[in-house]
Amino acid sequence: MTFSRRTTVTSAVAGAAALALVATGCATTETPDAGGPVEITITTFGTFGYDDLYEEYMDANPNVTITANNIDTGGNARTDTFTKLAAGSGLSDIVALEEGWLGAIMEVSDNFVDLRDYGIEDRAGDWVDWKYEQATDPNGRVIGYGTDIGPEGICYNGPLFEAAGLPSDREEVAALLDGGWDTFFSVGQDYVDSTGKAWYDHSGFVWNAMVNQLEEGYYTADGELNVDGNAELKARFDQLAAATLGGQSAAQAAWDWNGGQSFVDGTFATFVCPGWMLGVVQGNTEAGGGDASTGWDFADVFPGGAANWGGAFLAVSETSEVKEEAAKLADWLTQPEQQIKQFEAAGTFPSTIAAQEELAANPTPNAFFNDAPVGSILAGRAEGVVAQFKGPDDSLIQENVFGPPLQLLDRGELDGEGAWAEALRLLNELVG
Amino acid sequence: MSHRLSRLDLKASPYLYIAPFFLLFGVFGLFPLVYTLVVSLHDWPLLQGQGDFVGLDNFAAVLGDRFFWNSIFNTISIFLLSSIPQIAVALVLAAILDQHLRAKTFWRMSVLLPYVVTPVAVALIFSSIFNEQAGLANNLIGLLGIDPVEWKHDVFASHFAIATMVNWRWTGYNALILLAAMQAVPRDLHESAALDGAGAMRRFFSITVPSIRPTVIFVIITATIGGLQIFAEPRLFDVSNAGGIGGAQRQFQTTVLYLWEMAFFRQDFGRAAAIAWLLFLLIVAIGLVNFAISQRIATAESSRISKKTKRRLAAHRSITMPGGAAPAVTTTASDDAPAVTKNEEVVR
Repeated sequence: MTFSRRTTVTSAVAGAAALALVATGCATTETPDAGGPVEITITTFGTFGYDDLYEEYMDANPNVTITANNIDTGGNARTDTFTKLAAGSGLSDIVALEEGWLGAIMEVSDNFVDLRDYGIEDRAGDWVDWKYEQATDPNGRVIGYGTDIGPEGICYNGPLFEAAGLPSDREEVAALLDGGWDTFFSVGQDYVDSTGKAWYDHSGFVWNAMVNQLEEGYYTADGELNVDGNAELKARFDQLAAATLGGQSAAQAAWDWNGGQSFVDGTFATFVCPGWMLGVVQGNTEAGGGDASTGWDFADVFPGGAANWGGAFLAVSETSEVKEEAAKLADWLTQPEQQIKQFEAAGTFPSTIAAQEELAANPTPNAFFNDAPVGSILAGRAEGVVAQFKGPDDSLIQENVFGPPLQLLDRGELDGEGAWAEALRLLNELVG
Repeated sequence: MSHRLSRLDLKASPYLYIAPFFLLFGVFGLFPLVYTLVVSLHDWPLLQGQGDFVGLDNFAAVLGDRFFWNSIFNTISIFLLSSIPQIAVALVLAAILDQHLRAKTFWRMSVLLPYVVTPVAVALIFSSIFNEQAGLANNLIGLLGIDPVEWKHDVFASHFAIATMVNWRWTGYNALILLAAMQAVPRDLHESAALDGAGAMRRFFSITVPSIRPTVIFVIITATIGGLQIFAEPRLFDVSNAGGIGGAQRQFQTTVLYLWEMAFFRQDFGRAAAIAWLLFLLIVAIGLVNFAISQRIATAESSRISKKTKRRLAAHRSITMPGGAAPAVTTTASDDAPAVTKNEEVVR
């Protein structure tokens, strides 16, 4: 019975292969011994500008290998991080966290290492104080080394300002728009009335800035939901609604802007610009066929005072097997010298005071933004920023509660009261 | 000893042969299914993990949610707009490819090409084509004097646009599967029908389609499963809504996209699991309905043919009977005079 013996062997092999397939799913990573070769994994997102710094670190520490993974957008990084937290495995040693969803992370902050064990307290004075505070959880654990912050200024298009009879010089524009949102919107209304074109690209980003600037946004500092009956928020919403209904919004689809063409063809004249947004403006203008001559410029002014949008932190995951080495790398990456290199590579504005002072003292003209000294302007814009408490559902409220009614407002399908009522309705359904 | 071993072998080895499939199915199919059910019965925030057992509360909450029903409507609408034209066109394409064409492989490769492109790339290209301000689609219909369509705001237009992406990707793939089945249809069936005077259309509907019925059912069922799980296309169709709501007013939020929003944006894993299970049940139900319908169509078709044939047979007999023995060939299909003569020639 040679035939059947052979089949027995074959089937045993097939069965073993199947088991092996299952077993390989659970391979364990080896623990490195001190001084030996170490592999550190890091996940960042968007334009982080770290590639050269990794090389530099690996040259200085030959036993370290950095395996980097960059996710295209902050939104997708959020999904990636949340999925891996939910699964309880898969996080890289160092994880970049974004300020907008830090509130949700803080609910489960014990998934990340308390960096006080690795000496972050000695560096507490390096950062602007609110950045360090943001990384501190309710129990006083510090889970993130601050990387960049997002102080906001106003991007504007010089030639469009001139055509409307407005000043186009950077300082004059800053003086023109100096004041509250009422000033910004009243200049905008004049612009709309004289040109028939829109003032800002869409209401969502402006609303984002208006909310981020408040001492308390969608949540109170104690973590209570703070939208319904929040008179300050409602007053700002009414201001924005009036401006939008007056024709100031170009009702653009964010992150698309008609393939960037709307930055080139004069569809709108101003844009709210945190530091990292400068790269977005440039990228979209170029995608739409424009260049420096399109005339975008950056003014040292922001309606209603200082505001921050975004910024990131480097956290070390509790599941990491090389916590000490990872903390050392994250620490190094966020030191002032490295933050300046990061700014030069990616335009992300540093969160450490020394790096900010350095950029303010040595302004380099940005060729795309009509030679504006963006580094020193952003340093000025960072003064007076107040850290706002971000609740667990902050990004949900921003995107899915206020996003849709603001789009309907932009398209004229709802008026201010209708849009506010719709936002409250969505809030009850989605968060309530 | 050897005898006992070989008896064991006879009994056990078939099970060992199929074991790999069942092991993999257990790990990647059954386990997630059961685990999802467990999650759906609990209060389960995404990040905090398992909470209290809540019974069917998550299912009740989802069934009472207007956005769930909106997503079901969108899913079914997009499914119908994609599956029906897709399978119809795939059948026709397959029939054309089944003819004696020059450069056969070239044509077959060409119809499969869209399938090779990743859905994400397809979604990006098509969302640019369906751009409302300066997209190709609006420019083209502008040439015909039609007003620009709001592809990303209008409910029906957005469904049409998403169905177009699905069709573009899957029609060729289905055509190739149908083509493979068509090539297995015995050629002599076609030849004898042709000899009996059946035209190309007649042969397609009376021979080809009934013969490939099992494959058509397979294609319909896979299209149902795929069609009800559309995600990448609506997710990427509108980049400005990062929260996965599929249009400012959820015009094209499909059920899987709603599931995604629930799990990863609203961070309610329990409810998301309930949505997954409801979708699973819906797919099973629609699959069964599809199966029943395609079964019935096929049987109705063959019984209609046989009735017709019987009638013709009877008519033929009544004509030929008086003259004596009926020529065997003519009884099969046609009683047209030219066909008869042709057949007789063949017989001679």
